[in-house]
This record gives sequence, C-alpha cells and structure tokens, in this order.
Amino acid sequence: MASKSKVASFKEVLSKEEIDIEELRRLCFYGCTDKEGIRATCWKILLGYLPVKRKYWEEELRRQRSSYHRLMNDVIINPYKEEDQTEAVDHPLNPNPDSQWHKYFEDNDILLQIDHDTRRLYPEISFFQLPTMYPRKAFNTGVVLGIEALKERVSHSSLPSQKVESSRYGVRKVKIKKNEEEPFSPLKEGEEGHWEVVERILFIYAKMNKGIGYVQGMNEIIGPIYYIFAQHPDSLWKEHAEADTFFCFSNLMVEIGDNFTKKLDRSRAGIGGSMNRLMTLLKDRDTEIHKNLIDKEIDPAFFGFRWITLLLSQEFLLPDVIRLWDSLFSDSERFDFLIYVCTAMIICIRTDILAADFSVTIKLLQNYPIDDMQRILQKAQDIKQFYSLSKR
Amino acid sequence: MARATDKKYDHLFQLLLCGDSSVGKTCLISRFADNEFRHTHINTIGIDFKLKLFTIRDKKIRMQIWDTAGQERYETLTAQYYRKAQGIILVYDITREETFRNVTKWLRNIEDHGVKGVKIILIGNKVDLESERKISTRHGQKLANQHNIKFFETSAWKDINVTEAFTELAEQILAKVESGGGRDRGSSSIRESAIKLHEQQPTPATKSHGGCCSGGSSN
Repeated sequence: MASKSKVASFKEVLSKEEIDIEELRRLCFYGCTDKEGIRATCWKILLGYLPVKRKYWEEELRRQRSSYHRLMNDVIINPYKEEDQTEAVDHPLNPNPDSQWHKYFEDNDILLQIDHDTRRLYPEISFFQLPTMYPRKAFNTGVVLGIEALKERVSHSSLPSQKVESSRYGVRKVKIKKNEEEPFSPLKEGEEGHWEVVERILFIYAKMNKGIGYVQGMNEIIGPIYYIFAQHPDSLWKEHAEADTFFCFSNLMVEIGDNFTKKLDRSRAGIGGSMNRLMTLLKDRDTEIHKNLIDKEIDPAFFGFRWITLLLSQEFLLPDVIRLWDSLFSDSERFDFLIYVCTAMIICIRTDILAADFSVTIKLLQNYPIDDMQRILQKAQDIKQFYSLSKR
Repeated sequence: MARATDKKYDHLFQLLLCGDSSVGKTCLISRFADNEFRHTHINTIGIDFKLKLFTIRDKKIRMQIWDTAGQERYETLTAQYYRKAQGIILVYDITREETFRNVTKWLRNIEDHGVKGVKIILIGNKVDLESERKISTRHGQKLANQHNIKFFETSAWKDINVTEAFTELAEQILAKVESGGGRDRGSSSIRESAIKLHEQQPTPATKSHGGCCSGGSSN
C-alpha cells in the first residue's frame, strides 16, 4: 500500500462521527503511520482512552487532562500536607507508620527505584534524555511552592538518616556527584528531560495503584507510548502527552497488570498461565521444536517471562516494537496475538535451536537474532489464520 | 553453532548473582564475562544468562552465570534457580544502606531455596563512588565473617576485584567438586556433560589469585 493511500484510509476511518472499531483494528493490525499523529490517535482509541464517538473527544480529553493535573497536585505537591497540624510532634525518626515522615521515606524508596530505571530507558536512542518542550516547572524546581523536585528528593533520599534532621526542605541542594563519564548531558535549570516525565507518570501510577505499585519493567511498557504521544504534530496533543500517556498506560495495565503481580504467577491469569499457553501453542504448531526445548530442559521462564511481561519491548529496537504494538493493540482478543508472535519467534529460529545445546539455545532466545519484524509478523499471522480457520 | 568447541571443558559450573536491584549485578557479569561496562543498560526482567570459559589451575571451567532481577516481584521466579546454582554471588551497593541491610534477607532466601553447602561470596560493589560510601569495608567484612563467607569490594566500572571475586568462587566450587563433595552439574540436570580433556590428574595446589579483600582498601 502506498504511503499516501495508507494515510487516506486511516483518515477516512478516523473521520467518521462514530468510528468503526473493527475497521480501525483491521487497518492498525497491518501497521499504523506516524503521519498527522495517526498512530497516537489510533493507540488512544485502541487502548480505550478516546471514545469511538468523535463528538465526545474534546470534552473527554479536557476532563481527563485536568484530572491528571489534580493527581499531580495530590500526589506530588500536597501529599503530606493534610495533617499539617501534627508536624510539631512528627519527626523523621517517628516509627508510627501513619507518620507523614514515614510516608515520605516510603515514597522516596519507590521514587528511587523508578528514578534508576527511567534514567536507563531506551539508552540506544537520545529521545528520553532530551528536554521536553513542556516542563512542569512547578513540579520540577519546586521553588515557588516550597516543595522539592522529584529528582532532588531522590538524589538525597539514600541518606535521610544523616541529613534529614535539619529540615525537610533544607537538604534540597545535596546532590550526588556524578561520575565523570556520566552519559547523560545535564539539562539546564528549569529544563526537564523526557525520562523525568516518564518518572513522574510512573510515580503517580504507583501511588494511585498501591496494590500493584511500581514493578520494574513498567518503564519499558510506558516508554513507547510516551514516545509516540510526545512527538505528536499537534502542539496541544503534544503538550498533554504526559496526561494522555498516564491514562493509556493505566488502561493497558488493567489488562496486563496480572503479569506484574507476584501472587498470580502460578495462576491462569498470571504470567505462569501465559507461558503455559505459549508452550501449548508451540507444541501444537511445531512438535519437534517443542520436544527439543523440553529435552534440553529449557524452562519457558528463561525467555517467555520477559517476552510476555514486557510485550516484547526488550527484544527489538524501538521502531520495530512500535510496529509490533500496532498489531498487539489491535488484537480484539488481547493479548492472544502476542502469544502467536512469541510462538512465531521460536519457529523462525527452529533450525538454530535444533542445532544448539542448552547454553546456546538460551542465548538465542534471550538475544533474539532476527530483526526482520515483517517476517515474524507474517509467521504469527499464519498461526492466527490457522486458528481462526479451524474455529469456523 | 559452535557446538563442538563448546564442549571442550573440564567442568561446568553454575553461578547465580542476587541482591537488590541496581546494585550492579548485570554490570559485574558483563565486566567478568565480556570485559565491558555500559553506564546505561536495561533492567534485568526475570532471569538472564551469560557464559564464560575460564581456566583455573589448568582446568577449563565453563561457567553458566545466571543474572537475576533484584526487585521483590521477581523473587518467586528467581528463587527456583537457586537450587541449580553451585555458587552464589550476593551483591550490595556500598553507597546504598538498604541494599546492605537486605543482605541478610538474601542470605535467608539462599538458605531457603539453595542447595546445602552452596558456595557464597559477598560483594560490596561501586567502590569507584568512594565519596558516596555509606557502608565501610569493615562493616561488609564483619557481616561476611559472621556468615563465614568471603568478601570482596569491587567496581564493575573501574574493573576492580571483579575477576578476583569470580575466581575465588570458582576455586571454592572446584575444590569442592574435586574433593567429591559436590556433583558436577555438567552431568546432572543440564544436558551438557563435560568432556574430560584431562584424565584425573594430581592438581598443583597453586592458587591463581589471593584476591580476598581482608579489610584494607580494595584498590
């Protein structure tokens, strides 16, 4: 399909007063385009953030974006203020779990972990290190409101016992000295890197979803979504990339959150169930390779755990991940197609696996050698077709 | 695939690294196995794997090194690999107190899930960040002594003591295997029996590296 007509067909579907979701899914399945912000719009619809009726878009976006602003305020600016009157008796060493100080330190532990992980988000591209055009200055510098910037909270959160007695805000300037080979060029005062936006979204998500909290790997899920939204050609949509990402990510986590939950590991809904489905499907489609893996005692957890939990985002380069996610998100039975793709990935390297011993097999599966996304998707589609035909 | 050459080793050892997230487990392995260091690498999700061929006392050792995710969520997954390991490297970050406090928790995990008599060493990583140090060498050494395990302070970045630490662990496992006290994993759970290149021969008792950090500066 020529690029122009691709844009045209997307525009046609997206311009309808009530968008035909099935039609949109069919189009997206074969890959969206970034032209005119089409991919961002499609993902927002597919992830249930934008309603199918266009006339509600404006109102819905306004409502959600302002509610994100309130969340930012509640979670970052004002979380410890409600019991201000207790501050006279509260102190950093207060062992009471309801102590505002206690909560503050607990939050900082979460923040520290998120900070570590978002700093190393997609190191192969520069995007996340670059400054956003829309820094949340109030949240970033904190000066005006007398609150600490998230990043500054983190930079000294590992030494609260030594430093914090003085004042909660007085230690703001304590900064960790960075290595001279620090790979990230420092941003100017008031600037904010895209990774810091991602950090803030994850922190708010963790605070709002305490049952699941922050789990390593969520950063990899949120990365591509924010990457698409933050490069929207329309400046208003671009400006609200943060809020939009938060809600799309939250919606997505409703569907895949079970994979991030330890207590569901062995259940059908959790990652254990998904890995079983992968192996069952593989056995059905390619008995020989399945038997080979079993004989070599290759546990699906060695590769399948990461593949499925992260929607394959660590296995391919970002542009390929994005293309793959077009198909994954347009799956009406999310995330069946993901399992098909994983199966296809194994079958695509079957010859290598059959010739390999235990170690080499694991290396192949953990450092997946094929970068031809089209080939993998084609194979996955064949598998999908096989099952949809056999269902009839 | 390099299948034929793969098998030219005397012993197959399985090692596992554990410890809190972001203490530098992956970096230590990359330094040891590939002699490289990257400031930015992605999180380890689940369990990762590296191979290293390595010689001690004329014995060719093929090391399978398992890298685990440090976050609590991944514990149930990673714990099941403890029992496959003959040697475990437990890592903390000398600049972050809580990672040191958690060493006890990790030791308990090893006790619960590891095989009896598994060889363990303790590593305090990131000595290149001396100005941010929170845990003194003495403290680390004391904890190691309490548990009767060897202790090293390392820097994966500056390549300090990394090989020494892995070597020490390999030495301990080798001694155990040679004294008949440990099964050689090559022929058990994993289908990669080691092909004996050398017939059983008396091994010279030369120690290739002393290496253990005995309380002084690690530089």
